[in-house]
Amino acid sequence: MKVIEAEELSKNFKVKQKEKGMKGSIKAILHPQTEEIKAVDGISFGVEKGEVLAFIGPNGAGKSTTIKMLTGILYPDGGRIEVLGIDPVKKRKQLAYQIGTVFGQKEQLWTHLTPYDNFRFFGAIYDLSGGEIERRIAELAEIFELADFINTPVRNLSLGQRIRCEIVASLIHKPKVLFLDEPTIGLDVVVKENIRGLIKQMNRELNTTIFLTSHDVGDIEKLCKRIVIVNSGQIVMDDSMEHLKYHYLNKKIVEVKLQEEAVLPERKGITILKRKGGHIKLEVDTSVMKINDALRSIDAEYVEDINISNIPLEDIIMEIYRSKERTESL
Amino acid sequence: MRKYAVIYRSVLMENLQYAANIAMGFISFLIIIFVFISLWDYMYASPDDLIAGYTKEQMIWYVMITEMIWFGARSATITRQAAADIRGGNIAYLVNKPYRYPLYVLAKYTGEWNIQLPMYAMATAVIGLTMVGRIPNFHVTTLLLAVPCVLAGVTIHGVLKLCISMFSFWIEDSNPFQWLYDKLILVVGTIFPIEIFPAALQPVIKLTPIYTVCYGPAKLIVDFSMEKYLEILLVQMVYLGAGCGILFLLYEKGGRKLYVNGG
Repeated sequence: MKVIEAEELSKNFKVKQKEKGMKGSIKAILHPQTEEIKAVDGISFGVEKGEVLAFIGPNGAGKSTTIKMLTGILYPDGGRIEVLGIDPVKKRKQLAYQIGTVFGQKEQLWTHLTPYDNFRFFGAIYDLSGGEIERRIAELAEIFELADFINTPVRNLSLGQRIRCEIVASLIHKPKVLFLDEPTIGLDVVVKENIRGLIKQMNRELNTTIFLTSHDVGDIEKLCKRIVIVNSGQIVMDDSMEHLKYHYLNKKIVEVKLQEEAVLPERKGITILKRKGGHIKLEVDTSVMKINDALRSIDAEYVEDINISNIPLEDIIMEIYRSKERTESL
Repeated sequence: MRKYAVIYRSVLMENLQYAANIAMGFISFLIIIFVFISLWDYMYASPDDLIAGYTKEQMIWYVMITEMIWFGARSATITRQAAADIRGGNIAYLVNKPYRYPLYVLAKYTGEWNIQLPMYAMATAVIGLTMVGRIPNFHVTTLLLAVPCVLAGVTIHGVLKLCISMFSFWIEDSNPFQWLYDKLILVVGTIFPIEIFPAALQPVIKLTPIYTVCYGPAKLIVDFSMEKYLEILLVQMVYLGAGCGILFLLYEKGGRKLYVNGG
């Protein structure tokens, strides 16, 4: 069952243009000029119930604009959207009861109040009864381990603690869909891992559908089963994480440390990326040559250390962006 | 309405932590009051003089009450904050909650003035009774009847200022309009009662927000009459209804123009 459906969704922004200098400023007053930018250009996709979807792309790709249209914040210029069977344009308020949003770069908590008072506030905003709010706070405080700071004013919390509270505030009304826009931005690795674990747990236990945008490949790799890549307002790829890895991870990176400098025979499927003394970094295309065969071309007697790894997901995504740009420029 | 009561309560809780900061605002209030006490002391040659129908005590109390309303209703939320939310796109993160943004801001504003106004009212009463004396012919029932007018005046003031903030959907900066409105209320409305202006100007001033925001409530406290009371209440209801209508119209129209920086 699809909980999010977008069909030919588009949004344009008019951006003011001004020539440089004083002359440009005066000209801009007399003849204001605007340029229309296609932020989202006819995208279509659907999200199943309980799915964790990564919606990623470079800056200005149209990710946040899409989230804002899905949550009813922005009005689309074209196309159709339905979230939980509700049109966000016509019934924003009704939809608000069913969804939660966390924008990593924006605070929704009241900083002078404690997380507990904030949760009570958000519970009341979503028309929960007093008893229901208390039960929900207790439940979420346990999952998100808030006991130590639930009565500390938000302004005195660390960023990691604050983000946990932001997520709890978004979950207080048991939303069926949670939109997370860069939830781990600015967090250290330990806190990021913690937050990812909590999101995963929440999806598992509450079956909440999660729509995630992030620049952090770790978030995507660890949380999502499906990935939608957007660039210049269009969907470049919509695939399962497994499929993506299978297709794009057919190249392995082999780093070898040899006792002395050695010459490797040139073979189809092996690309030498870096060589410095006895250190060699190779890329092996496993669709051309098996990794075993590639390793046999190295004299095992002189090997001090060897490391085989996949190409980082970050590089894969970058390659997808670039290949799309290359296709467009042709 | 429960959610707006909760917003109000949260602002109250937040602001109670900063009661000392609010008290710092008393400095400029006290300076203005002392200036006007001295000015009117000088203007009234003898205690029995009347200027524009006001005794010296009535005139000073009038200024003190209008200044009390002005200072008690001061709010960064309805002016700078709301305009900045709209201009900077922060409103996007506030409108995706199940409440109506204008009512959300007005609930916050109410939480603010509900702390400020009683503090200024107490200061006004203490200064007035110790330095000016009782208002002639004043009765406690007068005060009880006038209080709803004061509260309505402060609410209308908030609605009108929020309407001006809504201009930010269309223009870069709504501050010049806030400045004009503030100066209208502060310079023309709070310092002198309408009767002091030339007869030709008085009907014009009565059509402005001055009549409902500050003149009406202050006039009722210093010189109560049932006829005036009903007239002021009626005008306030008209202002409140029309003001809210315009506010929601601006919000609905403006919301469609929302552009959020950075996506």
